[in-house]
Amino acid sequence: MNYLYGWLGAGALTLVVVLGAHLMSAERKSESIQDILEAINPERRKLSYRVLNDVVAPALAGILIVIAWPIALLVKVKEWVRPDDKDKRRDQIEKQFSVDSSHLKERLSVQEIERREMVIDPLHAAPALPFGHLHNTWCTLIEGLTSESELWSFSAIWECGWGARELREGYVVVRDGVPGAFLMTVWTQLENKK
Amino acid sequence: MTAQIAERLLYEGSEHAMCTNPLDDYFAMAGHRPPFGSPSTALWRGYVGRWEIVNDRLYLVGLSGTLEDGSEVTQASIFPDFPERAFAHWYTGSVRVPQGKQLKYVHMGYGSTFERDLLLTIDRGVVVSTEIQNNGEADDSQGQEGYGVGAMLIYPTKGRSTHRAQKDTDEGLL
Repeated sequence: MNYLYGWLGAGALTLVVVLGAHLMSAERKSESIQDILEAINPERRKLSYRVLNDVVAPALAGILIVIAWPIALLVKVKEWVRPDDKDKRRDQIEKQFSVDSSHLKERLSVQEIERREMVIDPLHAAPALPFGHLHNTWCTLIEGLTSESELWSFSAIWECGWGARELREGYVVVRDGVPGAFLMTVWTQLENKK
Repeated sequence: MTAQIAERLLYEGSEHAMCTNPLDDYFAMAGHRPPFGSPSTALWRGYVGRWEIVNDRLYLVGLSGTLEDGSEVTQASIFPDFPERAFAHWYTGSVRVPQGKQLKYVHMGYGSTFERDLLLTIDRGVVVSTEIQNNGEADDSQGQEGYGVGAMLIYPTKGRSTHRAQKDTDEGLL
């Protein structure tokens, strides 16, 4: 019995810590955003939704923390110790795409690419430079060129983790036949193309 | 994931909700994304952009958002030389503008369906075709018209981390 009280006591303490951390880090909910959320989902205005959202769900979460406090504590400590993990995971997902040899289309010179990718806007709303707003990215790409480097255009059909197919096109640096750093000029879901 | 606040689109003299985020493509192509704060589960991307179609070209004409450290982000922060109008030449794909009454609410992203979708097909920032897609008729004649959400909003967020924008050159994506 004492063990049970000890366990629940530790759970209650964890709940206080987690709740305190949440209150310290949570942003205050703006009234305008509440209005928007209610406009998106009119259900939010109903009393039943409010009771579920504001009372039942937090109460259940609290009970769960008291019972399974080591898990809650582990998650919280992990958040404090390594707050960037979530961003890193997201970045890793973004970076899975890479150009391979089968995607290569045509070998081109810097000048040829810059002629192709000149951006001219009648309202002068983009730099009148190769790749326009992405000019700096292009400069960074070609800064790393060596005498052994080649520039190729590429086109790839990429299947995302969630099943969508994307068309990705651009230019890639190839060294010893191996594609490396690249710049994309087209990145679009094929389902959206008519 | 909550339904998301839409971008805004000025098109043919009126303002619409736009359920497409062309600026996300820009950040991905440029290889760095400012560390936007998410003030709400309804705005995970952390910003709201205002767009305009002029002479069949897509332009960014306003941006409002905040970084994780609470500092404000405007269009000038992203495009310092083009603080009022930036041609979205990087964007290829479809722009979706929901119209009519809501048929079905989906508690995720831009998943809700409406009676019609105006679809603008964009090729490197230039509108190449437009199409109205009919999705059905709402039973509720009193229902709300259009997406009905979103505005140029700024939500201050408490500082949680410092600005971490960086180029991902080491991973190949420039």
